[in-house]
Amino acid sequence: MDHHLLEVAGTHVSRLEDLRLVTGSGRYASDWNLPGQLHACFLRSDRAHARIVSINAGSARKHPGVMRIFTGADAVAAGHTRPMTILTFKGKDGMQARVPARPALAHERVRCVGEPVAMVVAETALIAQDAAGLIEVEYEELPVVIDPEEALAAGAPQLHDSVPGNLPFEFEAGDAAATAAAFARAAHVTRLKLAVTRVAPNPMEPRACLVAYDAREGSYTVHVHVQGVNMMRKQLAAYTGVAEEKIRVVARDVGGAFGQRSLAYPEYCAQMLAAKELGRPVKWVATRSEGFLTDSHGRANFVSGELALDRDGKFLGLRLDWIADMGAYLTPTGPVSHIRNPSTCLTGVYRIPALYGRWRTVLTNTNPVAAYRGAGRPDIAYVIERLVNQAAAEIGVDPAELRRRNFIPPEAFPYKTPTGSIYENADLPGLLEKALKLADWKGFAQRRRQSETAGRLRGIGISTVIENTGAGLFPKDEVAIEVAADGAVTVYSVSHSQGQGHETTFAMIVAEALGIPTERVRLRQGDEDRPLFGNHTGGSRSTVGAGSACHLAAKKLIEQGKTLAALDLGVEPSQVEYANGTFRARDSQRAITLGDLAGAKAFSATAEGSFSSTFPNGCHIAEVEIDPETGVTEIVSYVAVDDCGRVINHAIVEGQMHGGVVQGAGQVFGEHVVYDRNTGQLMTGSFADYTMPRAGLVREIRMEEHPTPSKVSPLGVKGMGESGCTASLAALTNAVIDALRPLGIHHLDMPLTPARVWGAIQAAKSRFVRK
Amino acid sequence: MYSFHYIEAKSLKEAGDLLAANPDAKLLAGGMTLIPTMKARLAQPSPLVDIAGLGELTGIELGDGKLVIGAATKHHDVATSGVVKKAIPALARLAGLIGDPQVRNLGTLGGSVANNDPAADYPAAVLALGATVITTRREIAAEDYFQGMFATALEPGEIVVRLSFPIPRRAAYAKFPHPASGYAMAGVFIAGTANGVRVAVTGAGPGVFRWPDAEAALAKNMNPAALDALVVAADDLNEDLHAPREYRAHLVKVMAQRAAAAL
Repeated sequence: MDHHLLEVAGTHVSRLEDLRLVTGSGRYASDWNLPGQLHACFLRSDRAHARIVSINAGSARKHPGVMRIFTGADAVAAGHTRPMTILTFKGKDGMQARVPARPALAHERVRCVGEPVAMVVAETALIAQDAAGLIEVEYEELPVVIDPEEALAAGAPQLHDSVPGNLPFEFEAGDAAATAAAFARAAHVTRLKLAVTRVAPNPMEPRACLVAYDAREGSYTVHVHVQGVNMMRKQLAAYTGVAEEKIRVVARDVGGAFGQRSLAYPEYCAQMLAAKELGRPVKWVATRSEGFLTDSHGRANFVSGELALDRDGKFLGLRLDWIADMGAYLTPTGPVSHIRNPSTCLTGVYRIPALYGRWRTVLTNTNPVAAYRGAGRPDIAYVIERLVNQAAAEIGVDPAELRRRNFIPPEAFPYKTPTGSIYENADLPGLLEKALKLADWKGFAQRRRQSETAGRLRGIGISTVIENTGAGLFPKDEVAIEVAADGAVTVYSVSHSQGQGHETTFAMIVAEALGIPTERVRLRQGDEDRPLFGNHTGGSRSTVGAGSACHLAAKKLIEQGKTLAALDLGVEPSQVEYANGTFRARDSQRAITLGDLAGAKAFSATAEGSFSSTFPNGCHIAEVEIDPETGVTEIVSYVAVDDCGRVINHAIVEGQMHGGVVQGAGQVFGEHVVYDRNTGQLMTGSFADYTMPRAGLVREIRMEEHPTPSKVSPLGVKGMGESGCTASLAALTNAVIDALRPLGIHHLDMPLTPARVWGAIQAAKSRFVRK
Repeated sequence: MYSFHYIEAKSLKEAGDLLAANPDAKLLAGGMTLIPTMKARLAQPSPLVDIAGLGELTGIELGDGKLVIGAATKHHDVATSGVVKKAIPALARLAGLIGDPQVRNLGTLGGSVANNDPAADYPAAVLALGATVITTRREIAAEDYFQGMFATALEPGEIVVRLSFPIPRRAAYAKFPHPASGYAMAGVFIAGTANGVRVAVTGAGPGVFRWPDAEAALAKNMNPAALDALVVAADDLNEDLHAPREYRAHLVKVMAQRAAAAL
């Protein structure tokens, strides 16, 4: 461990990127333009499930300024039909995933509202939009299925001939027989059926893409938002059959992503087709309405969970039946993240000797689902932590005490779970005690009485969670560092910020290793002229992966610099010392700075590293007050104690944690994508109906750190971009249910809107009256 | 958005003439409803006649027991006006609860009243206070003005110029905002006037309406408890995925009680 690190790391450095971003000088996807560019508009299906009988584009084609209209037949002819899959592991009984084709423009059939049916390419965006309105599509409607459980039932409408039963993949983890035996000898079994609802990630930046084709080279340049250029290129290549080396992806600033911006969407592949056919660049900028309809949705997991306990409240077994709604097509990240991440953390923070989970991914007539901040981790944490709280209530044990009895003890780490994951380290009892103290757990009963006096219902909820970080298509992360003659240091990474603050964190890591001011280090992310190997930003992996590679590259730069400096200083490399930007001969006064060395000779270093999962963990405690007259819940206290390993920049870590907690709170209290059951129409297609969290929802988060440094990375860090979200779903829901439990309410599915909470209170009261 | 012609009117007369001459013309004040509708291609007005800057439509004046506010007065200006705060503090409070700061700095009183969105806030105040809508052609009593969802007594080409609010003895507004849109899911304005108590409800039904039972109960006893025994019929109220009509009916009573408590 490099203890020297903490001289820069671990301090509050203001984000280096903020001035650019908050003064409107960022360069987002729609800010790119090319000479001669055309504009695309997509005509989208207004049916959830239908056969396309005919497309009459006659008058649209004649509309002045229209260049060409593309349909599914063009996409099929060009072979732009196969979204990449990373579902390469085998499922239940050796099942191979059945990945349906998805032509970049719908061909012969539409399977969800919003699916692109035709693309108009015209001289201006307005002309394209006008012409799209002139296209007549005749549909023959087919029966619609929205609910994933109904989609699994016999006789349900079938979406794809290649996917019988609407079941593209079934998976199991754990030991079914051992788990059944554990349940058979249990003194108590707690059961809950839980919905982790479908949400719309809604990054601030709408989708946009500009594609240019170079006929001489047969290559494409795609200006688009990414979470990492390599992952985008790989997917575009798979989708279109174009060789990876013929695709150049260009991206600078990204205005939020949350997993949603990692995908190569069909629209981009349709634009590639048009750019090639028409020989001019083709640009498209989505509206917010298109975003609600077609940007991938998140979560949509429906889980029946059972927890078996012995007489002393020790957990004996956990059994889950997990239904993952995938929408009408499989995205690369949806099925994998909703299976792999939950199965990796299937035991939560507890010693549970017997585990079994069965996953069924299901196709429905809805927009496809993909990874969304946490990607299955908040979902599994929610399931386990709701079960644990419910079990505590059922057997009459304090929920903190029940956790204490079942935590994986600190001395048991590294801990191998019954499903084969190895958790690196954690101090779970320490986390809990710190959080209980910070939340004044002991004083709650008194506060509850005070609320009662004021006619309000008060509740407190804990969640204690652990999650695996690290995801990605590439086994290694590569970082390059270049020194200019003026001493400025440029760092190149694939990992691409969408708001996380890589420019600051990575600069601090490099500045620390080189002993130079952070301001002298500049990060270039996904530079198209400096291709590197490595992963996108996702799965809380960037500081662990690319951040560690930054550290290694800086160290390598120093070693290489010593060899170069030795020539200059006329000594052996072993005689050269380095500190604070200067190489010095040990036995003489001669010295040369980084910049001078770079001025004389090209000076750069590239390092790579392979970093496995880290296991950040945390204990969050939420306290709420409910107004029983209106059903409105107010979060009166939120405490977060987290183990993120060593922290590089506290302000950034706090910001990430705040964002994650609030994103979870948004889902718990309001966010919900709703489709009409009969027609498959999207009911929440704008901010007038889709409840985004507002600033007043979470007013204060009290945070403490409780680090156990990771050895996965030389920096000692653990990933933490998703931790807040992972913990907050359960902490907040547990608090609301705790407030309602005296009325006999044991569970409510999110979103816990005022109407839903009020309705539950009314129903409980009438039950009470009848008794 | 479809392309359209835009004209900045120099006078109310010019605006009226443009409306008369062009059946597809629409007035633009704050544009808080019209512009999103146009962006969604749900409206194609042309020309768009901008009256937001007309001096004839501005001004907040107090006199003769009445508060007169120009139609182009922005919500923010009503919310922060010392005159309004002194004369009818509940009206200033209501204006401060509309939308968000961006909306309050663009949206106008006249625009809100002319549009008569069933979940808008202002109609509750206009009806409860028994205000008069003064147009380019006549004066319309609030009673006659609101005619259900997005419907008013305004005739084609008629423009709202100002509103005249009689000063109540006391008044209060309580609003339960729609969790997504921030519009009123139930908003209740209570005014104690020289002619008795008036209670107007917005957001819950297809248009603003008075609640006579509450008025009668409060006339006897201006106290939240006076409403305890009342039940709001849910049958004619709105329902959406955020709130069943029974919940809206319940909220009407709760908001009425909270408004009464604030009187």
